[in-house]
Amino acid sequence: MTTVARADGSAPELLDRLAADRATGALSTRAGIFYLSAGHVVHVESPHSPDLGELLTRSGAVPPAGWWEAVERAGTRHRVGRHLVDSGRLTAGALELCQLGALFDAAYCALAHGGTVLRFRPGVTHWLGAVRPVPVATVLHESWRRRELLHRIWPDPAVDTAPLTRTGGTGPVALPPRRARTLALVDGVRTAAQIASASAHRTFHTLVELRRLAADGLVAPAPPPPAHPATGAGGAAWDEPDTALLRRLLDALEAL
Amino acid sequence: MPGIDESLLETMRLPGARGALVADWISGLALGAVGEAPGGDAEATAAETAEFARLAVESGTLAPATPAVPATPGTGSPPPPPGSEPPVQDLILTTADAYHLLRFVSTPFDSTVFLYLWLDRTDGNLALARIRLAETADRLVLG
Repeated sequence: MTTVARADGSAPELLDRLAADRATGALSTRAGIFYLSAGHVVHVESPHSPDLGELLTRSGAVPPAGWWEAVERAGTRHRVGRHLVDSGRLTAGALELCQLGALFDAAYCALAHGGTVLRFRPGVTHWLGAVRPVPVATVLHESWRRRELLHRIWPDPAVDTAPLTRTGGTGPVALPPRRARTLALVDGVRTAAQIASASAHRTFHTLVELRRLAADGLVAPAPPPPAHPATGAGGAAWDEPDTALLRRLLDALEAL
Repeated sequence: MPGIDESLLETMRLPGARGALVADWISGLALGAVGEAPGGDAEATAAETAEFARLAVESGTLAPATPAVPATPGTGSPPPPPGSEPPVQDLILTTADAYHLLRFVSTPFDSTVFLYLWLDRTDGNLALARIRLAETADRLVLG
């Protein structure tokens, strides 16, 4: 067990400082874990985005048995990525593309869902091993750029977290294949992260499609369910869709 | 087996190659870059070419969801099976002094990436570059 460093401040601030110190270890926030090696980001995990294993196995790129074999054989040596390439399951290029996709996706989700830092564990490394380390500044800048990109498409962050429902008419709409597949998974219950997981797509890339669908008036945060006492404190979570609806009404009125 | 950097460096061996990168056409992120970039900023090039690539991929008229794909000889690699993504193979943008080539990379997992090559128009051979870029895109993922 490694020592647990006490961490204060926001995740971007702390990541900057760890990069300057060329630190190695794992920085946990409320919505993810950043693994650093010599001040570079080697891996990021977030419960709001599918991890590398999910992206590879659920798409059929690597059979689940092959993935778990790599984890079992090379996990303790922190060389699972290397093992996937050496055993011929993936090319180095495919591993890098998928890993970078997962890394930037998890980083975006971890930072977007509140960057409160919980702790930094020095020396801790991830079992995947280093695939293609990325400078901290690149990860932070990209996450900021992604937030701006979503805002430009449709400025309603509620789409990213609330259960979503279809709002379009019944007539068929010509949509690009990827967007049509995303729309097909909108069922009034699933959130963006659940839609991403169901389609084995990265969460941010799903958010882009969903915000475009929202901008086209085809998707909106689901209205609150009929009032009945739900388990837990569900009330507050339903405030956002109303705000979103009002904002859309306001936008529509202003556009007249 | 080549990784991203090896693939880009291989692309740079083409006559007239000035710069190359791998970018994501949904996020606009540059996953790797070598050589020069038009305007001197690889990140901006990635974001702008990504938007160009996205418009092509999402064009309902030019890129039907289930394209009828007759085998076209001499285009580098065989056409992808119907319905597979992306429906577009490559894009060529010609300016007074350069060719800008984009080649989509087909992966079995969710990746949405393309290779981009900036080719000098005087020294470059467009036909050769297009074939090589297609081969590089295939090797990057298939080995």
